[in-house]
Amino acid sequence: MEVEILVPELRSAPLEDVVAELSARAAPVDPFSDRVVEFCADFSQTIFRDREASRYPELAALAFWMRKAELVRLRAEFERMTPPQTVAAPRGLVFHIPPANVDTIFVYSWLLAALTGNRNAIRMSSRRAPAADILLRLWRESLARAAPEIARSAVVLSYGHDEEATRALSLACDVRVIWGGDRTVATIRTAPLAPHARELTFPDRASLAAIHAGRYAELDAAGRRKLAGQFFNDAYWFDQMACSSPRVVVFAGAAEAATQASAAFWDALTECLDEKQFASPAAIHMRKLVYSCQAILELPVVEYRRDPEATVLQLESLGREPREHSGGGLFFAARVDNLRDLVPVLNRRHQTLTHFGFDGAELRRLAAAFGGRAIDRMVPVGQALQFSRFWDGYDLLHEFCRFTYCEVGR
Amino acid sequence: MTVAELLQAAPYSIPQAEKEAILVEQLGALTEHHRRECAEYDRLVRILYGGSGPAARLADIPFLPVGLFKSHALRSIPESAIFKTLRSSGTTGQEPSQIVLDRETAQRQTLALSRIMTHVLGARRLPMLLIETPSLIKDRRQISARAAGLLGMMNFGRDHAYALNDAMELDGDAVRGFLERFGGQPFLMFGFTFVAWQYFLMKLAGQKVDLSNGTLIHSGGWKKLQEQAVSPQELRRRFLAETGLARIYNFYGMVEQVGSVFLEGEDGYLYPPAFADVIVRDPVTLEELPHGQTGILQVLSVLPTSYPGHSLLTEDLGVVRAVDSPACGRFGKAFSTLGRLPRAELRGCSDVIAASARI
Repeated sequence: MEVEILVPELRSAPLEDVVAELSARAAPVDPFSDRVVEFCADFSQTIFRDREASRYPELAALAFWMRKAELVRLRAEFERMTPPQTVAAPRGLVFHIPPANVDTIFVYSWLLAALTGNRNAIRMSSRRAPAADILLRLWRESLARAAPEIARSAVVLSYGHDEEATRALSLACDVRVIWGGDRTVATIRTAPLAPHARELTFPDRASLAAIHAGRYAELDAAGRRKLAGQFFNDAYWFDQMACSSPRVVVFAGAAEAATQASAAFWDALTECLDEKQFASPAAIHMRKLVYSCQAILELPVVEYRRDPEATVLQLESLGREPREHSGGGLFFAARVDNLRDLVPVLNRRHQTLTHFGFDGAELRRLAAAFGGRAIDRMVPVGQALQFSRFWDGYDLLHEFCRFTYCEVGR
Repeated sequence: MTVAELLQAAPYSIPQAEKEAILVEQLGALTEHHRRECAEYDRLVRILYGGSGPAARLADIPFLPVGLFKSHALRSIPESAIFKTLRSSGTTGQEPSQIVLDRETAQRQTLALSRIMTHVLGARRLPMLLIETPSLIKDRRQISARAAGLLGMMNFGRDHAYALNDAMELDGDAVRGFLERFGGQPFLMFGFTFVAWQYFLMKLAGQKVDLSNGTLIHSGGWKKLQEQAVSPQELRRRFLAETGLARIYNFYGMVEQVGSVFLEGEDGYLYPPAFADVIVRDPVTLEELPHGQTGILQVLSVLPTSYPGHSLLTEDLGVVRAVDSPACGRFGKAFSTLGRLPRAELRGCSDVIAASARI
């Protein structure tokens, strides 16, 4: 069968040829080789300079994330974490299955695997967002300037819902990375891997924000505006549908303080939305209205607040929030006395806790209390979407490497 | 005026201001009725609206989004009083709405439809050509919304004949046979808009079939015809040119609201009957829009007592064109529908299709 190749250049090619090329033994590439780092830095520059890309804040964030200085920092981090008695090597061929609707994940996923010296096959959905097509174009442009072995080390392809291609690539790869939710994971898992190969899965996740009511009260108007802007980025960049975007906002503190903080917080968000003249399509408003009604009937909702772009459903207690979400700016709000009250109500599905006003010791204690059963990430409000090598409980740099243990005789 | 009197009144005879005064009172009473009889509805009104007081204007009557009935079959009657449950056809992949009727609401629905149809058809049953395939209603246990619509309309005709065969092809012999018997006198035709265009008119074109004594009633939305760039005007023009048919009435209605049967007037606009009305709302603020502006249609009807569906926000776009301008002898609002709200693709990591998100 023919597959559509999007990177290194636009063409169609027989599936067997693509798999054969990817599986061919290539000269090994060291993790963080200069050539790879240079290429990634150049790709970052290409994104920064592009007119069309500048319209998408998430592309600027991506370019910033893979700028030269950051890559050099990452290399130093990688070297520090590699024990002296081991030699790190790439795993080989990484097969990435990114989500259809978050335009930038496929680049982050590829980047960490490429930096560690792996070859990559990335399967793109045919229904991609415009920003993804911009990235593919810029990728091709950067590759045209790069060394041929760089160009050969990654293939981005698209083939609709064809089992045959997924099966062939799964058998050929050393690591399979599945983004995109429970159903995708379940479907892709029916395609077997080689015995030695491993898999990283990123199933459906949900995230929340926690605000310290007392510290929030201490903020002046400018501070509240700033926080609202950061929260806006977390929630609205991907229509609140990114797994790390907050759906629940928890105000921690005594009843009166929490009520005041909550009211001021949502007012500040409304102002921020007004200022940005943020406007969702009509269908989103309708979806949020239907979802609100369903939530009122199924959950302990005590209050409904509708600013058209931000619907807030105040809950009496947490723990029964549904798996599905309307997206588009609908939040559950709740009060807790203390962050520890989250421990019994969160579970393995909860990924990111964005926080404001808590100190490091408190957050670390909370992480220990979760004990790996919930929350893989705690970052300040504003950084929910900032990608990191630590994601969903994995250290991706580590996951993309093999470590040869090498003990020297006395 | 009581609900019974509203149903007996000539459907388009009440000037808007007078009609609104009656509806505000009746619909307000229905809000209280459903709050008493349906705990879920009461909870929704308390939380979404902070309760309900006496409404001053029609726009003050609380409304629910029609999509809620896909996940929740709300009812204001005990289970033992359920007479039948209606299911919407729904778009592919979506759950159908479930509407619970008791005997009284079902009877009023039949009466309401009849009041409206006799307004254009007269009191006598006419010979009826169904622009449908007979297989649609062969299995009476599994009735789709389309079949239910057809069965409801069949009551207004006699000597029924089907214009299409089981394969949805034009049954030329049946049509000719029907017209030979009844074509010289007034007769009735009914079909879904797209079917009437695609499987009937397009196949009849150029065959010199005379439908000039007929009245066509059609319904079901313009979505598929919009895709082919066929406007309501074009449909009328082509029927007239090809068959001499001039009496064409579209109607807009939905399973979710008993009594909301909005029939087209001779001017091509839709008219709410005495016991129902429409409001156009801004899709973002949900405030009522001035006449002439396009927004989301809210439909109101005093007939649903068995379930809290007397005031529903649809997902259809519409615009009020005129009020009390009896160019075709009708009082009240004259409005047009402009199709469904365009669907919105959300982004996100998950493969859960957000459009189907429900709890």
